[in-house]
Amino acid sequence: MKNWLRQDLWRHVIGIAVCLFSLFPLYLVVISSFNANGSLQLTSFIPTEISIANYKLLFNNPTIPYLTWVKNSLIIASSVAVLSVMIGTASAFAFSRLKFKGRKFGIQLLLLVQMFPAILAISAVYVIMERVYNFAPAIGLGTRPGLLLVYLGGAMGVNIWLLKGFVDSIPAELDEAAKIDGASEVQTFWLIFVPLASPVLAVVALLSFIGTFNEFILARLFLVDMQNRTVAVGLQQFIGGQYSQNWGPFAAGSILASIPIVIIFLSLQKYIVSGLTAGSVKG
Amino acid sequence: MNYLIRGKIALVLKIIVVSLISAVLLMLTQSAFAQREYVIAGFLAICVLALALTYLTKISIPLKFFIPGILLLTAFVVGPILYTVAMSGFNYKTGNIISKEEAIVQIKVRGIEASPDGTAFDVKLGNSGTEPAILVSDITNLKYFISTEKTRTEVGAKEVTLTANGVAVAAPNFVALTDVQLSGADKSYSNYRFTYDGNYFIALEGIETGVVSRQILKYDAASDSFINLVDGSKYRDNGRGNYALSNDKAAILEPGWRAPIWFENYTKILTDPRVRGPLIRVFIWTVAFALLTVLTTFALGLLLALALNKPIRGRRIYRSILVLPYAMPSVMSILIWGGMFNTEFGAINTLFGTHIAWFSDPNFARLAVILVNLWLGFPYFYLISSGSLQAIPSELQEAAAIDGANPRQIFRKITLPLLLQILSPLLIASFAFNFNNFNLIYLLTGGGPRNELDGQIAGATDILISYTYKIAFGTGTQDLGLASAISLIIFLLVASISLYSLRKSKVLETFA
Repeated sequence: MKNWLRQDLWRHVIGIAVCLFSLFPLYLVVISSFNANGSLQLTSFIPTEISIANYKLLFNNPTIPYLTWVKNSLIIASSVAVLSVMIGTASAFAFSRLKFKGRKFGIQLLLLVQMFPAILAISAVYVIMERVYNFAPAIGLGTRPGLLLVYLGGAMGVNIWLLKGFVDSIPAELDEAAKIDGASEVQTFWLIFVPLASPVLAVVALLSFIGTFNEFILARLFLVDMQNRTVAVGLQQFIGGQYSQNWGPFAAGSILASIPIVIIFLSLQKYIVSGLTAGSVKG
Repeated sequence: MNYLIRGKIALVLKIIVVSLISAVLLMLTQSAFAQREYVIAGFLAICVLALALTYLTKISIPLKFFIPGILLLTAFVVGPILYTVAMSGFNYKTGNIISKEEAIVQIKVRGIEASPDGTAFDVKLGNSGTEPAILVSDITNLKYFISTEKTRTEVGAKEVTLTANGVAVAAPNFVALTDVQLSGADKSYSNYRFTYDGNYFIALEGIETGVVSRQILKYDAASDSFINLVDGSKYRDNGRGNYALSNDKAAILEPGWRAPIWFENYTKILTDPRVRGPLIRVFIWTVAFALLTVLTTFALGLLLALALNKPIRGRRIYRSILVLPYAMPSVMSILIWGGMFNTEFGAINTLFGTHIAWFSDPNFARLAVILVNLWLGFPYFYLISSGSLQAIPSELQEAAAIDGANPRQIFRKITLPLLLQILSPLLIASFAFNFNNFNLIYLLTGGGPRNELDGQIAGATDILISYTYKIAFGTGTQDLGLASAISLIIFLLVASISLYSLRKSKVLETFA
């Protein structure tokens, strides 16, 4: 036995075992997506026949607007990501760099507010948006802009908190220098701070994007109309029925929707991990 | 880029953007006001004012940064939280959803009794002049009349147009509703009392039948009570959202309305064994679930981080595969796992040759929940543990090795304590997250399995948040008041856990 193998054998055993654990469900989804009979059974590890019927169904069946769902998810998630980071960064910057009365109180209030489990306020949000629908049908309950607004409000607390952690870690010397040179706060923010922080902001935007993409319950409550659904809600209906579970199209749709997210995630892994820890490890 | 921020162009741009947004908000304010949504209209008006004051004057520089965030937070987070606090003080549940005014109208509509001989006629809905009216056909006696809320006009048999069944469908001075109108008018017509004879009137049952009825519940505005005209009994406002008899508290009129009951929902949680019992069981499982999840995910993640902490062959490949569960959209993963645990066809039973009813047995269901959460969560701890392992200065470990410590001792006495110190805020954050991991429970087990016999809605894998969701939105009785009260208790729990951990990690001190 080669020396490196003997020394590191236990490392490889653990590595391979856990890799199998993480791959198993994913492998199962992939073979189910190519299986025409629509089940999620493990009949054999190597598929006997490969069919692309499930993929065809997603694109050719007019009653399943899969592309529209994907488009809805992408539009909603990216709008939430961009807007919430823009608005959140401004607040985080002010908390971190500006001196004003009530700053400490504001931060503590924000901390408290973002701890309220969003799911629990769902009934209140529902009632409010139902009322908004009565006078402004374009942004009320059941519409994509309405859901976007709700997401945006909900993302605010966490994002300002997370972004504040980042902003604190960016050295203040540069914007202090700008201030000495006579720049106003607003100029410092736009001309010095935002360009400096843009890589970090991109990471938070990405986390926000993934979080919104994964949101299920609000999207399900809010978007009743088939054309308005997000991809998670749309696909869930294939398997939601107690007796009519059709895993084939669900598997195919999930894979297609996940691929871009997985690729983005893997390529930006390093930054995302630092982003996940920065908010809390700091201090 | 500078010209966008400074100078005349910037000023003009700013004014245009602020006015556009204000114009839209003003329009919304106006239509909200027109629909009598005064609270929303008021909030929108404040938004317009705040935007204009902040961006067009020099009232406060920090506000320029805060205003958009503050307004959004107020509308969709603080507002709903306050609404939840308010709801928790109300008797707001199935049967007590509407306002008192609406309840009075509905009790009046329902408080009728069919005549003793059960006379019913075929009717056609329409209008007579400007009044809503029905064209009534008394088929047995071949008599026809048009009835409004005020008058009843006989129509001769020769003047009406009959269908094959002998039902009148057209008559002079009567315009029948079209099918489109019919679908919209159904609700209002069923509230009308069409004139018949003396105390008796015709009330609609569906859209083709009118039943001769009389009012037996009469509202007396002076004493705010309903009087039963048959036996004279009096139903008074019981202060808890219902009209009830004074000598028989259980005899209430449906529907009720949402009435303030102050702290009763909270005292119910503390004292009513039917509420308290399941809640304590659910709470214990919630804590156990969150603890077990943190322990298992951290243990596996750390094990991997240690195993792959050396540049062994294929480390990059391992790493890419290991983060896949974390990179997959979790909604999809959870649903897929749900299918894998199916008793008959599920891949888990097939793989191990077992026949376990995973989601029907409480303990197997709990095991499944933990296992799936392990799959979802270990990559996170693997990633942050391996990052933190590299952050621990190697001098410490080398010094211990020189002093004669074996690798095991080094890990237990040096590496692990340091690691725990670095990661403790994240472990606590993970606990708090899983404490409220609604998606996992809702999508995987739906909180089940549930004991059908004891009539409780709490299932074996229900955590506080999914249980609360069921109380508020589940099938059967929905109790928004109670759910709101439980929500606030959960909030207090999570907030105190987080504040305690933050104080420990000294983040709060940096606020000063």
